[in-house]
Amino acid sequence: MTDLVLKNIGKTYPNGYQAIPSIDLSIEEGEFIVLVGPSGCGKSTLLRMVAGLETITQGDLLIKGNRVNEKEPADRDIAMVFQNYALYPHMTVRANMAYGLKNRGVPKEERDTKVNSVATMLGLEELLDRKPNQLSGGQRQRVAMGRAMVRDPKVFLFDEPLSNLDAKLRVQMRVEIRQLQRKLATTTLYVTHDQVEAMTLADRLVVLNKGKAEQIGTPMELYNKPASTFVAAFIGSPAMNLLDAEMTEVGIKLNESLVLPLSHDYRGKMIWGIRPEHLVASDEQNGDFALQVQAVESLGAETLIHGVLVGSQQTDGSAVPLVVRLSGPHLPDIGSHLWFTAPREDWHLFDANTQQRL
Amino acid sequence: MSVYFPQKKLPYLLVLPQLIITAIFFLWPAGQAFKQAFYREDAFGLSQTFIGFGNFIDLFQDPLYYKSMGVTMVFSFSVAFFGIAIALWLAVMADRVIRGKMVYQTLLVWPYAVAPALAGVLWWILFDPNIGPIALFLDRIGIHWNHFLNGDQAMILVVIAATWKQISYNFLFFLAGLQAIPRSLIEAAAIDGASPFKRFWDIVFPLLSPTTFFLLVVNLVYAFFDTFGVIDTTTQGGPDGSTNTLVYKVFKDGFIGLDSGGSAAQSIVLMAIVGLMTVVQFRFIERKVQY
Repeated sequence: MTDLVLKNIGKTYPNGYQAIPSIDLSIEEGEFIVLVGPSGCGKSTLLRMVAGLETITQGDLLIKGNRVNEKEPADRDIAMVFQNYALYPHMTVRANMAYGLKNRGVPKEERDTKVNSVATMLGLEELLDRKPNQLSGGQRQRVAMGRAMVRDPKVFLFDEPLSNLDAKLRVQMRVEIRQLQRKLATTTLYVTHDQVEAMTLADRLVVLNKGKAEQIGTPMELYNKPASTFVAAFIGSPAMNLLDAEMTEVGIKLNESLVLPLSHDYRGKMIWGIRPEHLVASDEQNGDFALQVQAVESLGAETLIHGVLVGSQQTDGSAVPLVVRLSGPHLPDIGSHLWFTAPREDWHLFDANTQQRL
Repeated sequence: MSVYFPQKKLPYLLVLPQLIITAIFFLWPAGQAFKQAFYREDAFGLSQTFIGFGNFIDLFQDPLYYKSMGVTMVFSFSVAFFGIAIALWLAVMADRVIRGKMVYQTLLVWPYAVAPALAGVLWWILFDPNIGPIALFLDRIGIHWNHFLNGDQAMILVVIAATWKQISYNFLFFLAGLQAIPRSLIEAAAIDGASPFKRFWDIVFPLLSPTTFFLLVVNLVYAFFDTFGVIDTTTQGGPDGSTNTLVYKVFKDGFIGLDSGGSAAQSIVLMAIVGLMTVVQFRFIERKVQY
C-alpha cells in the first residue's frame, strides 16, 4: 500500500520565488526514498514541506491516504532527524527521547519501557543520563535517531543527518541507518547532497535539480540509464564523461577525424557520454581513440587517469577533457598517449538541446 | 590562557588608566566613606569625633532603617521581576515579527537612551494627580490616584518609571538570546507535539536561563543603586518614607539631614549587601542554570 503520496506538490514563496514548481511521487510502505541534488535544488524544502515546517502552496500531500497539507507537524505522525541533530541541550538523553511521548500523554512506565528498548537497540543504555554536550558527534546522531524511533512514526524524515560527521563515522552510520530502516520497515524520506550516500541507502532515488525531479528510479536504473545529462553527471564518481558531438549518417562524429560508427534516426547536435570505468585500455591498432595523459590519481585498488582527447577541440579551442578509471595500479607518463575502446553497450546518448536521453 | 610579557612594566602601564579611574572614583570615596562611618561630624563639618561602631549601632536600632530596607526589597524585586518579564514578552513578540523587524527593535531600544531623571519626570507628569493624563484617566474609571498621599501608589509609580527604563536593556539581551537558539530545536519540539506555549516553557525559557540569570543580577543591582534619579524626580522617598530606598536614604540622611557619619555607615552596609548578593547569586544560583 502506498504510504506517502506527493501529488503535484509545489512551493512558491510570498516574494514570488518558485522553489519547487511541481513534484509527483508516491512512496510504498517501508520504502527508503532518497532525495538527492546539489545545494539549492529544493530537496530540504521538499522534506520540510512533508514535515509541516514549510507551508505547501500547491498540490496535495497524503500520508496513509489522508490529506495532511494543513495539519500541524505533530499531527502528521512523522519524525525527523535534523542536520544539527536539534537535541534539547538542557535535557538528558532519556528526557530528549521521551519528550515526544510525554507531550502525547504516554504514561511514565510506558515511556521508560519504550526509551529503554530503543536505547538498547542503538547501544545508548550507558548514555541515557548524560546531557547532549557530553556526547560525541556519532552518539548525538544516534540519540537523534533514537528520539525519532521511539515514537514509532509512520514516516521518518532525515535532513542530511550524516553531513556533520567525519568520513569514517559517516560510512559506519550509513550502514547502521540502512540496517535499522530494514529492521523497522518504516517509510523513510532522506535528503542528502552526497551521491554515494544516496546510491547506497536508497530503494529509490529522486534526483532534484532546480526544484524539479530530473529522474526517479532505483540506484541502478539511474546509473545505467540516466534520463538526462544532469543525472548522468550527478550519479557516479568520478562523473560520466560527456562530450559534445554530432549525429550523422555514418555515426557519432566527435571531431573531424573521430567518428564512432552507429546507425540512429536522430540527426544533429548531441552529447555522447561514457563512464570513466567503462573505457577499456587498448592499443593503437584496435583503440577507438587516444588520450593524452595530464594527471594520474593512484588510489591503490584503482587508478584515475585525467587527460585530453587527442586531436579534439572544444568551441573555445581547448582540448576535450576525459577521465578514465582503471582497476589496479598504473603509472603512465604524463604527456604520453594511451589508447582506449568504448564498448557500444556503455554509451549514453543525449539530445544537445533538451539534455534528455535519446 | 596565559600570556607571557617579556617586559614587566608594559602590562601595568596598559591597565594604569583604568586603575587610576578606579582609584579616584571608587577606592578613594569608598575609603572616605569607610573612615567617616566611624566618626560623628557636626552639621557644619567643622569637628569630628571618633565613636567606633556608634553609627552602626544607631543604624540597626532605627526602625526607619528597617522600613527602608523593606521598601528597597519590594522595589528592587518588583523592578527586576517586571523588567525581566515584560522585556521577555516583548522580545518573544519582536522575534516573531517578520515585516518591519528593525523598526520594532529600534523603537523598543529607545527608552534606554533616556536619562533616569528624565524617565522619572516623564512618568511624574503622566501620573500627576492634577494634570497627568494617566492619573485623570484612572480617576475617570474610579481609581483615585494621588501618589503624594498614597504610599502604595507612590511605590507603583517609581516601580513603573524604573522598570520602563530597564526594559530596553533587558529586551536587547533577550532578543539576542532568542536569536541564538537554533530554529531546528523549536521545529523538533513542534514535531515532538509540543504546543507553542509548551515549546516556550520547555525549550526556549530553559535555554534563556543564563541570560535571565545575568539580567536578574544586573537588574537588582540597577534597582539598588541606579534608581536614585527616578526616585528623586518623582516622590523624593515619600510619602512618609514609603519609597525611601536605601540608596535614597543615604543621600537624604547625608546631604539633607547632614548626618555624614550615619550616611557613610549606611553606604558601607549597602556595599556589603550588594557584594553578598552577587556572591550568593553567582555561587549558588548559577550552578542550576547551566546546561
